[in-house]
Amino acid sequence: MERPELNRRRLLATAGGLAVAGSFGFAALGTGADALAAGADTRVRYWNLFSGGDGANMIAMLDAFRKEHPGIAVKDSTLQWGNPFYTKLAMAAAGNRAPELGVMHMGRVAGFSPGRLLDPWDIELLAKYGVRQQDYNPALWNRGVIDGRLYALPLDIHVQLCFYRRDVLKKAGLLGDDGLMIPVTSTDEWFDVLKKARKVQKKGLQTIGLWTNDQNFQWWFFVAFYTQLGGQWFDDARTQVLFDADKATQVLEFFRKHVTDGYVIPGAPTGEQFINGAPFTWEGNWSVPVFSGAKLDYGATPLPPVFGRQATHAESHSFVLPHQSGRGGATNEAAHELAAYVVTHALQWAAGGHIPAYRPTLSTEAYKTLTPQNEYVSAMNHQATEPKVWFAGSTGVLAQDLGPMVVSSTMGSAGPAAVAQRMKKELAKLLASKNPMDGRTAAQGGAVA
Amino acid sequence: MTTSAQTVLAPARARTAAATATVRRKQGFQHGGWFVAPFLALFVLFVIWPLLRGVYLSLTDANISGEGASFIGLDNYREALHDQLMWDALGHSAYFTLLVVPCITVLAFLLAMLAHHIERGKWLWRLCFFVPFLLPSTVAGNLFQWLFTQGIGMFNHTFGIDTPWLTDKSYAMLAIVIETLWWTVGFSFLLYLAALQGIPDHLYEAAKLDGANAWHRMVHITLPMLRNITGLVVALQVLASLQLFDQAVVMMDFGPGPELSTRSFVQYTLEQGFTSYRVGYASAMSIIFFVIIAVVALARMWLLRNREEGGR
Repeated sequence: MERPELNRRRLLATAGGLAVAGSFGFAALGTGADALAAGADTRVRYWNLFSGGDGANMIAMLDAFRKEHPGIAVKDSTLQWGNPFYTKLAMAAAGNRAPELGVMHMGRVAGFSPGRLLDPWDIELLAKYGVRQQDYNPALWNRGVIDGRLYALPLDIHVQLCFYRRDVLKKAGLLGDDGLMIPVTSTDEWFDVLKKARKVQKKGLQTIGLWTNDQNFQWWFFVAFYTQLGGQWFDDARTQVLFDADKATQVLEFFRKHVTDGYVIPGAPTGEQFINGAPFTWEGNWSVPVFSGAKLDYGATPLPPVFGRQATHAESHSFVLPHQSGRGGATNEAAHELAAYVVTHALQWAAGGHIPAYRPTLSTEAYKTLTPQNEYVSAMNHQATEPKVWFAGSTGVLAQDLGPMVVSSTMGSAGPAAVAQRMKKELAKLLASKNPMDGRTAAQGGAVA
Repeated sequence: MTTSAQTVLAPARARTAAATATVRRKQGFQHGGWFVAPFLALFVLFVIWPLLRGVYLSLTDANISGEGASFIGLDNYREALHDQLMWDALGHSAYFTLLVVPCITVLAFLLAMLAHHIERGKWLWRLCFFVPFLLPSTVAGNLFQWLFTQGIGMFNHTFGIDTPWLTDKSYAMLAIVIETLWWTVGFSFLLYLAALQGIPDHLYEAAKLDGANAWHRMVHITLPMLRNITGLVVALQVLASLQLFDQAVVMMDFGPGPELSTRSFVQYTLEQGFTSYRVGYASAMSIIFFVIIAVVALARMWLLRNREEGGR
């Protein structure tokens, strides 16, 4: 028998072949390993967009679930927040490679082609694992309902808040006997409060942080105050724009006055200024862990009802079932079980500042003693949300188009009245435009519960 | 006899030569073809096919999910040409180009002169001027975001000013221009330096003998000798600047900048495709942009041809 000659070329070829084969082998091993290691037969892939403190809280909740349910292997993936996440989710669902469970902002659900890219929840399965409609604020639950079916199971609401420094407000005489900020019910009262706070605050800082040049925040604040004025967006049939340019002008002028009266330093970092001693800042509730971590003496209330009525911008994280052509069986049930578990064990989630959507959580002693969460939990009942149309939702088309207009008014490069007219025109254009996902306009889409 | 020998030999020689050439060409194809094949395959897969697919998509109302697209003719193009935001975005890209190209050309030339003429520590100068170019755009962008941040940024601190570089629409693009200068000048600098080193010394010696001073030597020898490389630098910079995207989005936290002032054409296309999910429309805008870039490139070739003919 002749031994094959070992030359350089043959050696290289063999080595190369081994390397390629090896990498395939390891790849195969990698995919199988997750399920094998857990010794579980049901695998739930779960995509979310939570990073930072939220991410840590979510992982802790998942770990708790894993401990109690050894039969279910949870494979969670955290993706980049915002549009990259939604793009991946849409393409995965369209390509039939979707995970069993996903997270979405509720406002985006209507535009996400429910029925084609999303599968509806099985209400009975949810009830089996302890989640029922009556456990929810009805308005919140209904945001997830499209054409009579539940597509989004709310996990929380997150709201825009008015954070205030108790140490500064105390000096200015703006704290009540309960240690909370005195209530404000008109724009005059509000500017009076700002004036008093400015007198006693640290010099060189702004009085309030308003995110004057951030199109998302400015848009959220606009939605809040426009709702306080009772402003509407569209009629129920989604054929007519009911946007009230006068009311919008009022809101825009209110924002602008903060800048012209010198309460805001445009472009100054809001959170940092607050930590350094600025009396107020308007931020999302996700800043609670940041300010608590900095050991500040502070409080947080819903955005002040300066137009006479409570309303603050609210958006919700919710669980969704990305479309799978073969959805059903054990994995689907496990997805329901996981979502129900997280929703009903959301106390940890509340530490991140979010208000748990599952109401029984709110009445627990543990939640009632959380500060400042217990101060703004009432926001649940005064939610100002974007209209329920396909182009709405967190970082969606509506915010992307109208947000910069609000900024241009607040920053002073365009007049409030002119901007209000431009917003109205843009809303009309959006209402007439077709949802690229299904080629239907808002009126034809029927994205109303 | 000689004539007959020639008549016999000549065609035979010609025939052999032709045969050898054919063989060589054949072999050449066989060998070269295999070497080029991997590249060609990737080129077709990642350039030609997406381009053709893009042209097709631009004629449809395709969405991001890739299903249910229908043919709508030139509607996307018609809409794009009436889309004020698209023209605004194109304006931002053009404005950026207008600011960056002259600055970078002059700066690169000056730096190259400096590095060429300074005797001590030559390598250090070259290194300093070129090294930023090696940074990834995200690193350079983040770096300048810190430098420009109001309140804590080194830029304002050093110059004792309080300019809202990143948050005011009158400064935002300027901040990106400054960042781009620092980041990319090294490449043009290198081209200039190489060209400078390629100018024969005897030209300068002859000029010196004729009594030309340093200024004359620069105007009459250096600058004319660098004409070709200047044309190249300008052309490359124009094409690169029009495609403004990465440093701008990094510096603006992936937003469109204060009041949309730094939203480039590329970014707007991306938003249409991946925020609004209108892949068909975004494809149409890409094709429009492709045509604009191609026109610029062709215009340059045409201008250069004229100049070369004039020189002759």
